[in-house]
Amino acid sequence: MQRIKTLKKVVLVVFAIIAVRLFFIQIIEHDAWVARADETHTLLETIVAERGEIYMMDAGEPVPVVLNQTVYSVVIDPAVTNREKITDALNKYAKDNISADLDWVFSREGLRYYVVAKNVSHTNASKIAEEGINGVWFKESNQRFYPEGKMASGLLGFVNADGLGQYGVEGSMNHLLAGKNGLLKTISDINNVALSIGNDNVKIAAEDGKDVVLSVDRGLEQRVEELASATVNKTVATHASVLVLEAETNEVLAMANLPNYDPGNYGYVKDASAYTNYVTQVPYEPASVCKSFAFSAAINEGAMNSNTTYFNEHYTTVDGWKIQNASKRASLYGTIDMKKAFYWSLNTASIQALRLLGGDPTSINQAGREKLYDYYYNKFRLGQATGIGLLEAASSIPDPNEGYGRNSTYANMTFGQNLNITMIQTATAFSAVVNGGYYRSPSILKGTLENSKIVPVDSEKTEEQILSFETSATMRDMLINNHYTYTRPGYDIGGKSGTAQMIIDGAYDATMENTVASYAGFVAASGEMPSYVIMVKMWNDTGAYLAGSDAMLLFDDIANYLIDYFQIKPGVV
Amino acid sequence: MALGLIVIYAIGPMRANVLNSTYGANYGANDFFFGQLRSVALSLVAFFIAFKVIPYSFLRKWSKVILIGALALSALLWILSLAGSSLAKCELGECRWFNLGVISFQPAEALKIALVIYLSDFLARKKEEGSIGKWQEFWWPLCLVCGASLGLVVVAQGDLGTGVALIAIILGMLLVAGVPAKQYLIILALILVAVIGFIAFGGHRISRVESWWATLTGSGSTDATYHVENAMLAIGTGGLFGVGIGNSVQATGYLPESINDSIFAILGETFGFVGLILIVAIFAAILLRLLKVADHAPAPSERYLVTGVFAWVLAQVAVNIMAMTSLVPVTGITLPFLSYGGTSMLFISFAIGLSLQISCYTSREVTKNENTSSRRGVGGTRHTSRRRNP
Repeated sequence: MQRIKTLKKVVLVVFAIIAVRLFFIQIIEHDAWVARADETHTLLETIVAERGEIYMMDAGEPVPVVLNQTVYSVVIDPAVTNREKITDALNKYAKDNISADLDWVFSREGLRYYVVAKNVSHTNASKIAEEGINGVWFKESNQRFYPEGKMASGLLGFVNADGLGQYGVEGSMNHLLAGKNGLLKTISDINNVALSIGNDNVKIAAEDGKDVVLSVDRGLEQRVEELASATVNKTVATHASVLVLEAETNEVLAMANLPNYDPGNYGYVKDASAYTNYVTQVPYEPASVCKSFAFSAAINEGAMNSNTTYFNEHYTTVDGWKIQNASKRASLYGTIDMKKAFYWSLNTASIQALRLLGGDPTSINQAGREKLYDYYYNKFRLGQATGIGLLEAASSIPDPNEGYGRNSTYANMTFGQNLNITMIQTATAFSAVVNGGYYRSPSILKGTLENSKIVPVDSEKTEEQILSFETSATMRDMLINNHYTYTRPGYDIGGKSGTAQMIIDGAYDATMENTVASYAGFVAASGEMPSYVIMVKMWNDTGAYLAGSDAMLLFDDIANYLIDYFQIKPGVV
Repeated sequence: MALGLIVIYAIGPMRANVLNSTYGANYGANDFFFGQLRSVALSLVAFFIAFKVIPYSFLRKWSKVILIGALALSALLWILSLAGSSLAKCELGECRWFNLGVISFQPAEALKIALVIYLSDFLARKKEEGSIGKWQEFWWPLCLVCGASLGLVVVAQGDLGTGVALIAIILGMLLVAGVPAKQYLIILALILVAVIGFIAFGGHRISRVESWWATLTGSGSTDATYHVENAMLAIGTGGLFGVGIGNSVQATGYLPESINDSIFAILGETFGFVGLILIVAIFAAILLRLLKVADHAPAPSERYLVTGVFAWVLAQVAVNIMAMTSLVPVTGITLPFLSYGGTSMLFISFAIGLSLQISCYTSREVTKNENTSSRRGVGGTRHTSRRRNP
């Protein structure tokens, strides 16, 4: 039949068209489609290494102070997800975690995948999941968790939204903590779930970060911060920094910066200076605390001892500059010995020490300047980074033979002005003064925790005897003599205060209305070598008068607590 | 059907996974495979019943009842859906299924076979009366029946795919029934105008045509072109020999309707050009065979019936494949025997069974008359045909 033949032709034509079309798509365009398929199907995903946790010591055992916890991002498919339901669920269980403008998400056409909430806890994510809303997924990620809250925030730092350690231990030990991310290259389904299909799949496992153990003692850190906070509240100070070193090893036992911030909500901090670890990052002038170094140098060089006398006129003139003493009471006028002058923190005494260091009791000379420089920079390593492994500032000490007004500059340096050094540098140098004369690099990283064992991490350590044992003993005597406030039978407690003028517009504020108070001291069982070195710094960020003696009160509180906390046995009096 | 089973077995778990994770559904890994297995089993039974059990003459006798029954089912579904009954199963706003607990049933598929059976009887009667082409006796009742069927399917159920199949069935049968050429061309023109009008006034249909044009001309991809692009991506990545069974990536959620309307694309990805050409060739062979059966059917009614089945299968196969290869705009239409979906497979199997039954009459009659030794079912027709039409 004719018409059936027509239908036959229709069939043949239709199928010929289809065959040609298939040939075109599958053979000629094949490569292009494969390329496009790769683009669409390949999932290139970083396998995120788990970040190491941070431990402190407590009763000789490492205890975690920064932990990881699993949190969830809520992802929706706006084309499928019921808008009212998801909005209700998010408002109910994760109001603070909503990270997207839902109006915008639902108004975008063609949007099939959007993260609407981040850092949702497991409990709340489960509750949202229980609502059974279509087109809702959860993506796991790790977030830092701080069981001790704000404690030691300035020391520990935080981890930002990109998973990078910022400030503190998180920032400077990122290389240990971060680990190495792995890589996953695979064919994936439409929900980005990896499939086993395909031969080019690549998987490089992630190397998790290491758990780091700090030498910091958790209980001590806690108490030190409480004491510092109480002192800050009692005085006009707004800020306080405290450093406690184990005198024998210069291991850091406490490093506090107040006020603290909440590292879990670091974003709420308005001023980034709140993240600063003042102990290591900020060089300043510790003022008269440095007299300990000038005196140590002169005594160690045999240029003087604690009984050496000079004539105190309340001031002395260097290069035509009149340098005054802070204390000008009449009883101090005239011939006075160094021990007494040290007690009263006379600037004329430390300048006299510099003169004696140069061999000329009447004037400062090149030899004196060079020797002081040698002690300050090369021996006490003031101005040099200590290599503690935290972010720290290095600065420099003025050159002894260059520049205008060298003698007055060096005269100022004897009482801790005209030089910028950090607390960690100062405390380490002070430790050498009292611990028998040994300069030892300070350290805060005890090691990494592997299978519950602390494995030390290699680092360059300096140990050098820079002062004689006798010099150190003489200095201890003088420092104990200095300490007039708090005493405890069976214990030697000594130290040196410093009240630094603030530098305002590049010049010292002569009014002494705005000052930074410092105190460096030690605690020892009577007649024995010091156990701990404590350094305190207090200031008001908008300017106020704080004397070294204010810092000393906080030092006393800490020293007293240390004796009980570490159960230092009293020495024989 | 076996091929369909294998592929469904391979991609069923992926489909279940996608549905579960995206829509919170709860499908087991092999649910789709067993569903398809059930459909195949039922279809084979239907095929056998049509082939051996129910004589065509019986169906012809009851053709009016069958059609009215099928129309009533579609009408019932429409009413139920308007009433919001849970018996009407709706997807994406279109209510096309009866929900009967464990199984669902698509009355539009029943309507196709009913229309084929009814028209075969109707056209044969008109042929006898010699009234084909006459307005009062022929066109008027024809338009009524066809209009009612199309209206219930396309307007009430929004099922353009079935509408295309129905139009193809009607056109195919009319052609073979010997409608005068002039009238036939007028009908063609009218349908063309109606289709264009229908597309132009149905908001989402015009966008489908636009997206089809965009894909065909490669002028940028949008959400609307997503379906076809991914179908072509699947077919294109298949290459010459395909990626192999179970290695389809597009089936893991990229390609919509991967186990139903888009199965051809997944077949293309899995078996490549060689596989698809083979599948297409098998379809072509079935279609040409149907034409041959029609050509040699002993009675006009039987010829029209087989032609109707032919037009039906051709429409489904051609529209489905051409949509997947972006030769025509996408319409929701299944690929016979291969797509997941029980009702469609069931009724097409029934229709093919019926056609085979008719081919047997042919050979039996021939055997009786001309005493040939060839009586091996369909094979006999070829033998006899040569003799009959030298």
